[in-house]
Amino acid sequence: MKLTKVTIQKNSTIEYSSKELLFLAKSGQPYRGSLHIYFISKGETFDLLTFKKYITSLRSVTLNAEDIAYTIYKKIDDAIDSKKLGVIVDLTSRGGIQQRISFGKKFKPVVKSNIFQV
Amino acid sequence: MIISNREEELSQLGSSSTTYSYSYDPKLLETFENAHQENDYWVTLNADEFTSLCPITNQPDFGTLIINYIPHIKMVESKSLKLYLFSFINNGEFHEDVVNKIGKDLVALMKPKYLEVIGLFYPRGNISIHPTFSYNNGENYYQELEKHRFFNRNLNPQRIG
Repeated sequence: MKLTKVTIQKNSTIEYSSKELLFLAKSGQPYRGSLHIYFISKGETFDLLTFKKYITSLRSVTLNAEDIAYTIYKKIDDAIDSKKLGVIVDLTSRGGIQQRISFGKKFKPVVKSNIFQV
Repeated sequence: MIISNREEELSQLGSSSTTYSYSYDPKLLETFENAHQENDYWVTLNADEFTSLCPITNQPDFGTLIINYIPHIKMVESKSLKLYLFSFINNGEFHEDVVNKIGKDLVALMKPKYLEVIGLFYPRGNISIHPTFSYNNGENYYQELEKHRFFNRNLNPQRIG
Protein backbone atom coordinates (compact mmCIF):
# COMPACT_ATOMS: atom_id res chain seq x y z
CA MET A 1 0.00 0.00 0.00
CA LYS A 2 1.78 3.14 -1.27
CA LEU A 3 0.99 6.65 -0.02
CA THR A 4 0.46 9.07 -2.90
CA LYS A 5 2.35 12.34 -2.63
CA VAL A 6 0.47 15.67 -2.86
CA THR A 7 2.24 19.00 -3.43
CA ILE A 8 1.34 21.71 -0.89
CA GLN A 9 2.77 24.93 0.56
CA LYS A 10 5.99 24.67 2.54
CA ASN A 11 6.04 25.20 6.30
CA SER A 12 2.39 24.34 6.98
CA THR A 13 1.95 22.60 10.31
CA ILE A 14 -0.22 19.57 9.69
CA GLU A 15 -1.94 17.29 12.18
CA TYR A 16 -4.04 14.27 11.30
CA SER A 17 -6.05 12.20 13.78
CA SER A 18 -8.11 9.06 13.56
CA LYS A 19 -10.01 7.16 16.22
CA GLU A 20 -10.29 4.14 13.94
CA LEU A 21 -6.92 2.42 14.15
CA LEU A 22 -7.07 -1.36 14.37
CA PHE A 23 -4.34 -3.99 14.06
CA LEU A 24 -3.73 -7.45 15.49
CA ALA A 25 -1.73 -8.48 18.53
CA LYS A 26 0.47 -11.57 18.38
CA SER A 27 -2.27 -13.37 20.32
CA GLY A 28 -4.66 -12.65 17.46
CA GLN A 29 -6.73 -10.24 19.51
CA PRO A 30 -7.42 -6.95 17.75
CA TYR A 31 -5.89 -3.78 19.20
CA ARG A 32 -7.96 -0.60 18.93
CA GLY A 33 -6.65 2.89 19.29
CA SER A 34 -6.43 6.50 18.23
CA LEU A 35 -3.74 7.73 15.88
CA HIS A 36 -2.23 11.23 15.88
CA ILE A 37 0.27 12.53 13.32
CA TYR A 38 2.16 15.84 13.32
CA PHE A 39 4.63 17.34 10.85
CA ILE A 40 5.72 20.54 9.16
CA SER A 41 5.57 20.33 5.39
CA LYS A 42 8.54 20.71 3.13
CA GLY A 43 6.22 21.16 0.18
CA GLU A 44 4.40 17.85 0.24
CA THR A 45 1.96 15.68 2.13
CA PHE A 46 0.18 12.41 1.32
CA ASP A 47 -3.23 11.88 -0.24
CA LEU A 48 -5.72 11.07 2.52
CA LEU A 49 -7.57 8.44 0.50
CA THR A 50 -4.41 6.37 0.13
CA PHE A 51 -3.64 6.99 3.79
CA LYS A 52 -7.10 5.74 4.79
CA LYS A 53 -6.52 2.61 2.70
CA TYR A 54 -3.15 2.11 4.40
CA ILE A 55 -4.70 2.45 7.87
CA THR A 56 -7.45 0.02 6.87
CA SER A 57 -4.83 -2.47 5.62
CA LEU A 58 -3.41 -2.66 9.15
CA ARG A 59 -6.56 -4.54 10.24
CA SER A 60 -4.94 -7.76 9.10
CA VAL A 61 -1.37 -6.93 10.18
CA THR A 62 0.14 -8.53 13.30
CA LEU A 63 2.42 -6.29 15.37
CA ASN A 64 3.76 -5.81 18.84
CA ALA A 65 1.81 -2.87 20.24
CA GLU A 66 5.06 -1.03 20.93
CA ASP A 67 5.97 -1.09 17.21
CA ILE A 68 2.82 0.49 15.83
CA ALA A 69 3.94 4.14 16.07
CA TYR A 70 7.28 3.37 14.37
CA THR A 71 5.56 1.36 11.64
CA ILE A 72 3.30 4.27 10.72
CA TYR A 73 6.13 6.81 11.13
CA LYS A 74 8.31 4.84 8.71
CA LYS A 75 5.50 4.58 6.18
CA ILE A 76 5.05 8.34 6.14
CA ASP A 77 8.76 9.13 6.28
CA ASP A 78 9.41 6.86 3.29
CA ALA A 79 6.61 8.52 1.31
CA ILE A 80 7.13 12.23 1.87
CA ASP A 81 9.80 14.72 2.84
CA SER A 82 8.77 16.53 6.04
CA LYS A 83 10.14 18.25 9.15
CA LYS A 84 9.49 17.28 12.76
CA LEU A 85 7.36 14.24 11.97
CA GLY A 86 5.79 12.66 15.04
CA VAL A 87 3.33 9.80 15.52
CA ILE A 88 1.35 9.01 18.67
CA VAL A 89 -0.91 5.99 19.14
CA ASP A 90 -3.22 5.74 22.15
CA LEU A 91 -4.39 2.15 22.52
CA THR A 92 -7.45 1.07 24.42
CA SER A 93 -6.79 -0.83 27.64
CA ARG A 94 -5.89 -4.50 27.61
CA GLY A 95 -5.90 -6.29 30.94
CA GLY A 96 -6.44 -2.94 32.65
CA ILE A 97 -3.29 -1.43 31.13
CA GLN A 98 -3.41 1.63 28.89
CA GLN A 99 -0.60 2.14 26.36
CA ARG A 100 0.53 5.27 24.56
CA ILE A 101 3.23 4.66 21.96
CA SER A 102 5.03 7.53 20.22
CA PHE A 103 7.84 7.90 17.72
CA GLY A 104 9.60 10.99 16.37
CA LYS A 105 8.81 14.60 17.30
CA LYS A 106 7.09 15.05 20.65
CA PHE A 107 3.81 16.97 20.38
CA LYS A 108 0.52 17.38 22.21
CA PRO A 109 -2.27 15.88 20.10
CA VAL A 110 -5.61 17.58 19.65
CA VAL A 111 -8.13 15.44 21.50
CA LYS A 112 -11.82 16.02 20.86
CA SER A 113 -14.37 15.37 23.57
CA ASN A 114 -16.40 13.08 21.30
CA ILE A 115 -16.40 11.94 17.72
CA PHE A 116 -19.13 14.41 16.79
CA GLN A 117 -17.01 17.44 17.68
CA VAL A 118 -15.94 19.14 14.44
CA MET B 1 -29.57 -19.47 45.02
CA ILE B 2 -28.40 -21.99 42.42
CA ILE B 3 -24.74 -22.11 41.51
CA SER B 4 -24.02 -24.81 38.98
CA ASN B 5 -20.54 -25.97 38.07
CA ARG B 6 -19.54 -23.02 35.96
CA GLU B 7 -16.09 -24.35 35.13
CA GLU B 8 -17.76 -27.27 33.36
CA GLU B 9 -20.18 -25.00 31.50
CA LEU B 10 -17.47 -22.70 30.08
CA SER B 11 -14.62 -23.65 27.75
CA GLN B 12 -13.17 -20.25 26.80
CA LEU B 13 -12.98 -18.33 30.08
CA GLY B 14 -9.69 -19.18 31.79
CA SER B 15 -8.43 -21.16 28.81
CA SER B 16 -4.65 -20.98 28.42
CA SER B 17 -4.94 -20.46 24.67
CA THR B 18 -7.53 -18.38 22.88
CA THR B 19 -8.25 -18.66 19.19
CA TYR B 20 -9.73 -15.59 17.53
CA SER B 21 -12.12 -16.19 14.68
CA TYR B 22 -12.19 -13.55 11.94
CA SER B 23 -15.40 -14.72 10.34
CA TYR B 24 -18.86 -14.51 11.87
CA ASP B 25 -19.39 -17.40 14.25
CA PRO B 26 -22.34 -17.46 16.68
CA LYS B 27 -21.16 -20.86 17.94
CA LEU B 28 -18.51 -18.99 19.94
CA LEU B 29 -21.17 -17.83 22.39
CA GLU B 30 -21.35 -19.66 25.72
CA THR B 31 -23.72 -19.45 28.65
CA PHE B 32 -23.73 -20.10 32.35
CA GLU B 33 -26.68 -20.63 34.62
CA ASN B 34 -28.35 -17.66 36.31
CA ALA B 35 -27.87 -18.17 40.05
CA HIS B 36 -30.55 -15.63 40.99
CA GLN B 37 -33.56 -16.77 39.00
CA GLU B 38 -35.94 -15.64 41.73
CA ASN B 39 -35.01 -12.00 40.98
CA ASP B 40 -35.49 -9.83 37.94
CA TYR B 41 -32.35 -7.78 37.39
CA TRP B 42 -30.68 -5.90 34.58
CA VAL B 43 -27.39 -6.92 33.03
CA THR B 44 -25.66 -4.35 30.82
CA LEU B 45 -22.72 -5.26 28.59
CA ASN B 46 -20.84 -2.43 26.85
CA ALA B 47 -18.66 -3.25 23.85
CA ASP B 48 -16.75 -0.15 22.74
CA GLU B 49 -14.59 -1.82 20.10
CA PHE B 50 -17.12 -3.32 17.76
CA THR B 51 -16.08 -3.29 14.11
CA SER B 52 -17.39 -4.79 10.91
CA LEU B 53 -17.26 -3.86 7.22
CA CYS B 54 -19.62 -2.02 4.94
CA PRO B 55 -21.06 -4.79 2.74
CA ILE B 56 -20.95 -2.58 -0.35
CA THR B 57 -17.64 -0.66 -0.10
CA ASN B 58 -15.76 -2.98 2.28
CA GLN B 59 -14.73 0.07 4.32
CA PRO B 60 -14.49 -0.58 8.06
CA ASP B 61 -17.23 0.58 10.41
CA PHE B 62 -16.81 1.13 14.13
CA GLY B 63 -19.22 1.52 16.99
CA THR B 64 -20.19 0.91 20.57
CA LEU B 65 -22.73 -1.81 21.32
CA ILE B 66 -24.81 -1.70 24.48
CA ILE B 67 -26.60 -4.91 25.43
CA ASN B 68 -29.20 -4.73 28.20
CA TYR B 69 -31.09 -7.81 29.30
CA ILE B 70 -33.10 -9.41 32.08
CA PRO B 71 -31.89 -12.99 32.38
CA HIS B 72 -34.07 -16.03 32.79
CA ILE B 73 -32.12 -19.30 33.17
CA LYS B 74 -29.09 -18.73 30.93
CA MET B 75 -26.67 -15.81 30.88
CA VAL B 76 -24.07 -15.00 28.23
CA GLU B 77 -20.46 -15.36 29.33
CA SER B 78 -18.56 -12.16 28.55
CA LYS B 79 -15.34 -13.63 27.10
CA SER B 80 -17.34 -15.70 24.65
CA LEU B 81 -19.29 -12.54 23.80
CA LYS B 82 -16.01 -10.71 23.16
CA LEU B 83 -14.83 -13.45 20.79
CA TYR B 84 -18.21 -13.52 19.07
CA LEU B 85 -18.23 -9.74 18.56
CA PHE B 86 -14.64 -9.84 17.23
CA SER B 87 -15.78 -12.45 14.70
CA PHE B 88 -17.63 -9.68 12.82
CA ILE B 89 -14.30 -8.02 11.92
CA ASN B 90 -14.35 -9.10 8.27
CA ASN B 91 -18.11 -9.39 7.90
CA GLY B 92 -20.05 -7.07 5.65
CA GLU B 93 -23.04 -5.78 7.63
CA PHE B 94 -25.30 -2.76 7.52
CA HIS B 95 -25.56 -1.21 10.97
CA GLU B 96 -29.28 -1.93 11.15
CA ASP B 97 -28.74 -5.58 10.19
CA VAL B 98 -25.89 -6.31 12.54
CA VAL B 99 -27.72 -4.99 15.60
CA ASN B 100 -30.71 -7.20 14.78
CA LYS B 101 -28.46 -10.18 14.03
CA ILE B 102 -26.68 -9.89 17.38
CA GLY B 103 -29.99 -9.44 19.18
CA LYS B 104 -31.46 -12.55 17.56
CA ASP B 105 -28.34 -14.61 18.28
CA LEU B 106 -28.47 -13.62 21.96
CA VAL B 107 -32.19 -14.37 22.19
CA ALA B 108 -31.65 -17.80 20.63
CA LEU B 109 -28.75 -18.44 23.01
CA MET B 110 -30.25 -17.29 26.31
CA LYS B 111 -34.02 -17.05 25.90
CA PRO B 112 -34.00 -14.04 28.25
CA LYS B 113 -37.07 -12.37 29.70
CA TYR B 114 -36.17 -9.14 27.96
CA LEU B 115 -33.23 -8.03 25.79
CA GLU B 116 -32.17 -5.00 23.80
CA VAL B 117 -29.10 -4.24 21.70
CA ILE B 118 -28.25 -0.63 20.93
CA GLY B 119 -25.66 0.23 18.28
CA LEU B 120 -23.92 3.61 18.44
CA PHE B 121 -21.94 3.68 15.23
CA TYR B 122 -19.31 6.25 14.24
CA PRO B 123 -20.43 8.80 11.65
CA ARG B 124 -20.01 8.05 7.96
CA GLY B 125 -20.68 10.93 5.58
CA ASN B 126 -21.57 13.07 8.60
CA ILE B 127 -24.38 10.71 9.63
CA SER B 128 -24.23 8.29 12.53
CA ILE B 129 -26.73 5.46 12.80
CA HIS B 130 -28.04 4.23 16.16
CA PRO B 131 -30.36 1.25 15.67
CA THR B 132 -31.98 -0.59 18.59
CA PHE B 133 -33.19 -4.19 18.68
CA SER B 134 -35.58 -5.26 21.43
CA TYR B 135 -37.25 -8.51 22.43
CA ASN B 136 -39.64 -9.73 25.12
CA ASN B 137 -40.52 -13.31 26.00
CA GLY B 138 -44.27 -12.84 25.52
CA GLU B 139 -45.20 -12.50 29.18
CA ASN B 140 -47.40 -9.48 29.76
CA TYR B 141 -44.96 -7.75 32.15
CA TYR B 142 -42.07 -7.86 29.65
CA GLN B 143 -44.34 -6.93 26.76
CA GLU B 144 -45.28 -3.78 28.72
CA LEU B 145 -41.62 -3.14 29.48
CA GLU B 146 -40.66 -3.38 25.81
CA LYS B 147 -43.57 -1.16 24.80
CA HIS B 148 -42.57 1.46 27.38
CA ARG B 149 -38.94 1.47 26.30
CA PHE B 150 -39.90 1.49 22.62
CA PHE B 151 -42.22 4.47 23.00
CA ASN B 152 -39.65 6.37 25.05
CA ARG B 153 -36.64 5.68 22.85
CA ASN B 154 -34.42 8.69 22.28
CA LEU B 155 -36.13 10.96 24.77
CA ASN B 156 -32.53 11.37 25.92
CA PRO B 157 -30.48 11.20 22.71
CA GLN B 158 -27.17 9.45 23.13
CA ARG B 159 -23.73 10.55 22.09
CA ILE B 160 -20.62 8.45 21.82
CA GLY B 161 -18.02 9.68 24.29
